[in-house]
Amino acid sequence: MSGDKMVMRAWTRAQSRLGRRQAMPVLACGLLAGLVAVGQAWCVAAVLARGLIGSGTAAWPGAGLLLAALAGLAVLRALIMAGGDISAARAGRGGRRRLRDEVLGAILRGGPALLRRRHSAELTALAVDRIEALDGFFARWIPASVLWIAVPGLIATLAALVQPGAAVIMIVCGLAVPVGQAVFGIGAAVASRNQFLAMTRLQARFLDRVRGIATIVLLNRTDDEAGRLATAADELRRRTMKILRVAFLSSASIDCAMVVALVLIVVRDGATLEVLRHGGASAPLADAAARSLFVLLLVPEFFAPLRALALAYQDRAHAAGAASAMDDLPDGAGAVVVAGDVVPQRAEGGVSVAFEHVTFAWDAARGPVLTDLSFAVRAGEILTLVGPSGAGKSTIIEMLLGFIVPGSGRVLVGGADLTAMAPATQSGLVSWIGQKPVLFAGTLRENILFARPDADEDALAAALRAASVDRFVADLPQGLDTPIGEGGFGLSGGQAQRVAIARAYLKDAPLLLLDEPTAHLDPETESEIFASLRILARGRTVILSSHAAGVRAFAGPCLDLGMPRCVEPGAARMAPIEEGHVHV
Amino acid sequence: MFMSDRSLSGSRIQDRDGLTPVLRVLGLWKDRAPRLVAGGVLSLLALVAALVLMRGAGARMGGLAFGGAVAGLVLLRGAGVARVVLRYIERLVTHDAMFRALADIRVWFFRRLAGGAAAGLGFRRAGDLLSRLVSDVEALDGLYLRIMVPLAGACVVLPFLVMAVLPVDPVLAVIVGGLFVIGAFALPLLAALMGRREAAILTQRLADLRIGVLDLVTGLREIRAFGAEGRMLAHAQARDAALLRGQARQARLLAMMGGVSYLCGQAAVLAVLAAILGVGLGPIPAARGVGLLFLVIAGFESAGGLTRAGALAGGISRAAARVVAVGEADGPVVPVGTRPAPAGTDIRFEQVSFRWQADRGAVFDGLTLEIRQGARVAILGPSGIGKSSLAALLLKVAAPTSGRIMLGGEDLATLESSSVRQRMAWLSQATHLFADTIRANLLLGRPDAIEADLWTALDRAQVGDVVRALPDGLDAWLGEGGASLSGGQGRRIALARTLLSDAPILILDEPATGLDAETERDFLTTLYDVTAGRTVILIAHRLVGVERLDRVWRLSDGRAVAAAV
Repeated sequence: MSGDKMVMRAWTRAQSRLGRRQAMPVLACGLLAGLVAVGQAWCVAAVLARGLIGSGTAAWPGAGLLLAALAGLAVLRALIMAGGDISAARAGRGGRRRLRDEVLGAILRGGPALLRRRHSAELTALAVDRIEALDGFFARWIPASVLWIAVPGLIATLAALVQPGAAVIMIVCGLAVPVGQAVFGIGAAVASRNQFLAMTRLQARFLDRVRGIATIVLLNRTDDEAGRLATAADELRRRTMKILRVAFLSSASIDCAMVVALVLIVVRDGATLEVLRHGGASAPLADAAARSLFVLLLVPEFFAPLRALALAYQDRAHAAGAASAMDDLPDGAGAVVVAGDVVPQRAEGGVSVAFEHVTFAWDAARGPVLTDLSFAVRAGEILTLVGPSGAGKSTIIEMLLGFIVPGSGRVLVGGADLTAMAPATQSGLVSWIGQKPVLFAGTLRENILFARPDADEDALAAALRAASVDRFVADLPQGLDTPIGEGGFGLSGGQAQRVAIARAYLKDAPLLLLDEPTAHLDPETESEIFASLRILARGRTVILSSHAAGVRAFAGPCLDLGMPRCVEPGAARMAPIEEGHVHV
Repeated sequence: MFMSDRSLSGSRIQDRDGLTPVLRVLGLWKDRAPRLVAGGVLSLLALVAALVLMRGAGARMGGLAFGGAVAGLVLLRGAGVARVVLRYIERLVTHDAMFRALADIRVWFFRRLAGGAAAGLGFRRAGDLLSRLVSDVEALDGLYLRIMVPLAGACVVLPFLVMAVLPVDPVLAVIVGGLFVIGAFALPLLAALMGRREAAILTQRLADLRIGVLDLVTGLREIRAFGAEGRMLAHAQARDAALLRGQARQARLLAMMGGVSYLCGQAAVLAVLAAILGVGLGPIPAARGVGLLFLVIAGFESAGGLTRAGALAGGISRAAARVVAVGEADGPVVPVGTRPAPAGTDIRFEQVSFRWQADRGAVFDGLTLEIRQGARVAILGPSGIGKSSLAALLLKVAAPTSGRIMLGGEDLATLESSSVRQRMAWLSQATHLFADTIRANLLLGRPDAIEADLWTALDRAQVGDVVRALPDGLDAWLGEGGASLSGGQGRRIALARTLLSDAPILILDEPATGLDAETERDFLTTLYDVTAGRTVILIAHRLVGVERLDRVWRLSDGRAVAAAV
């Protein structure tokens, strides 16, 4: 828990530092607005003093001049405030853009391995919604955390020049605010408002129940769950109100300090004024009245930044919540740094693959998935991986894709160590088709060209033909330009797999990795897809992970990860290479 | 098929115009009216106390300096205390009322989504659309706290101001009142009208960004395999930039509106001062003028936030529109039955025709088949042929376009849906695991099950050993969508939940998905024994060969063809 807190504190501090530069214009506007406010108060006080002693005295500027100055200052202040708002919004956008770039970069760096730990919806919510919620941190909290000292300080200093006694009252009451907050633990209560309150937990629960609503309806549990939802919401409300009772003291204490300051100044200056009035001289009375009114008018301006800080406190709490979520993402230091680039040897019909004493564990506590695994596949050969789920079929494929690196041992492709290759070289070697290809939001054409955006029409047409995509394109409302993916036209599992095959064609890599490509398909579609895959496999090295029925799809050696034997008698022979044997 | 139906996602939920949805939401809060109104009244009292305080402070100063009536210190102190205390109580009461009202909306929304015709929606709506609706519910809290309460405040401040100025100088009263109307009503209205369009654009851009990021995250494997990191990042960044551009425009608009609203207040201050000096207006007695001046400052300040609230109103009313539109006639219409389901559980499809939507092809065309009580049958066919639609028809999620379905000799259309669903337990491809403990997930299947039942069900689903190995056993927390287990293990928990149910009919849609070949065979071999006495409808695209079945049908061309057992 305290570790978490430290992470949050460090993160908030780092972000504040980064955000402060962009907050500079906001700070400047805040200070300028404070100055203008003092000018306005002076003008108003001067007008009122004039109103007392009447025109014709030289002690005060002319009425027209004063009113004009006041109008000018008001316009100036409106402009400064608008400028401040605009630059605060800009600071908020800047901070969010930077964070979003960082998070997306971290997700891309973490790669597919990240999806084993974190749900994709959760990562999306982090990169989109949680960062949106940080707007206030950059736009409001960071400026407010400086201005709450600077502006009251400025105002109190200027007020002290005119009316030292009243300035002291303001400062004492102002100081009472942070002291009171510390004593009552208000700051802590406000901060816990968002985390401890578990508002988010109710939201998560609600969202989860809504997503699974079909399951609830069909289990006939609608009433139970609605009741439980109401109870949870009510429980949350009660706990929230308990904390809000303290948290609202925060603004009440500011209100209170302001009212006390106001009343004290009125009482103190009122007494002085009364004495002067009975004295009968009008000039000193006007002067004293002007000073008193000036200070009185400054009181709300003095407390406004304190109020803004209290309001922004929850923005800071938001940030603390986001910090722990982001802390879990891989940072730049974790990325594998490749010193040079070893170029693999490509043979005529593909590329050779060898695992040498490879050990790998997803989770040290659960033990290794692969233990001292060695095997070799010659260029152009087709290796089928079989074994029960969890035996390591997908692990081998993900290792060849470079998503993960061996704990010990080496993976050689084309005779070169995979970890010594530059990422571009590595990804140029392999094509991959998984169980369910991801279709991106966009047209069918864009989805296929994803494999090679610069492919020409002929290459595209060839890929479409080879993957038999052309067979169903005609049935789509807008042919190749039909939007698919999120919000678009739904493709069937078989059609989606054909898109993946077309992508692999376009990419034209020497090593083809197939991870249970027909797991979700019916037998008829499965056999059609395997027919297309056999064409795609020509002239490439293929590593196929498949359930029992798929094993027969390709002739060739077979590696059973579940037990040290091969299921297909005909394929019992492993590729006869130097030390081609299987340890399990 | 129903999960992948995209036609409803995104644009389908149209926003209806204006106030109707907001009024609808307010209608839902009828029961909370006393609290909501009490909160509003307290807030008005706090506001009045603030006005009295400022006016009193000014008037006392003026009075002391310029002679005339002097506001009493008692009044000043009283107003000060009242302002602080009332403001505190007001915030507590309004927030408490708001939390209650929001809880009501959540429960209403949930029931609405679950009930009646909406039962079909749960199947068909994309998950992210639902998330958006959930955040729409949350957006409604601004309706009361940020719009209604301040607006009510402004309605009180206006007469207060005018009544205070009127006896002093009628012309000044008109000017101050007019400026207040502009600052507190006209500008917020303008902001609301302009904000409506902006809100629509921003909602769209945020959705675009979300889709872009979701693509990037779910497509991580493809992206890595095709070396497309740079392209996808640029794509997401472009969407981010579009969103930020829209927000920048909105921020500029808001800042300008805020500036104009501030100038309204300043113009009023200027008018009062001019009247005091006798320039163009007045002159008015300085002593009273000072009081008015402070009152005007406080009054306009109280209305300062309304412009910003107006700009948000557009977004809030759109959120309200989407929330109240949930379940309005865009699901399949299922006849509401009233009679309880009969004891018998023979199932008969008689010449059933069905299509999900009028503009889509027929899924069934004259489907006829019979499943006797206690029979074990399999329904086979390639994906998309309508196997899941068959289950949906049985569960009264959808209704046949023609023909009828009999359960225990009675027409399904006349039977109450919840009593029909009590007879059937369904394991679908999309069965949801809740972010809760394994125990809570299982108990959804049968709330009164005892611990031993749970373990039996888990063992039958071939997942008992996995759960035993977890440190917390049955109380282990399943992450979102069962994320802390593997996909196959999660499916088996869902299967255990289905087996646990005491429904006499089990509909198992590909129950062996996620099992490896050997476990699959074990499971299917024992299925016959563990479901003794119950009807089992096994939906699959192929048989493994170890199932012991009474009948097998193959779906083809919208009809069922008997196949060899």
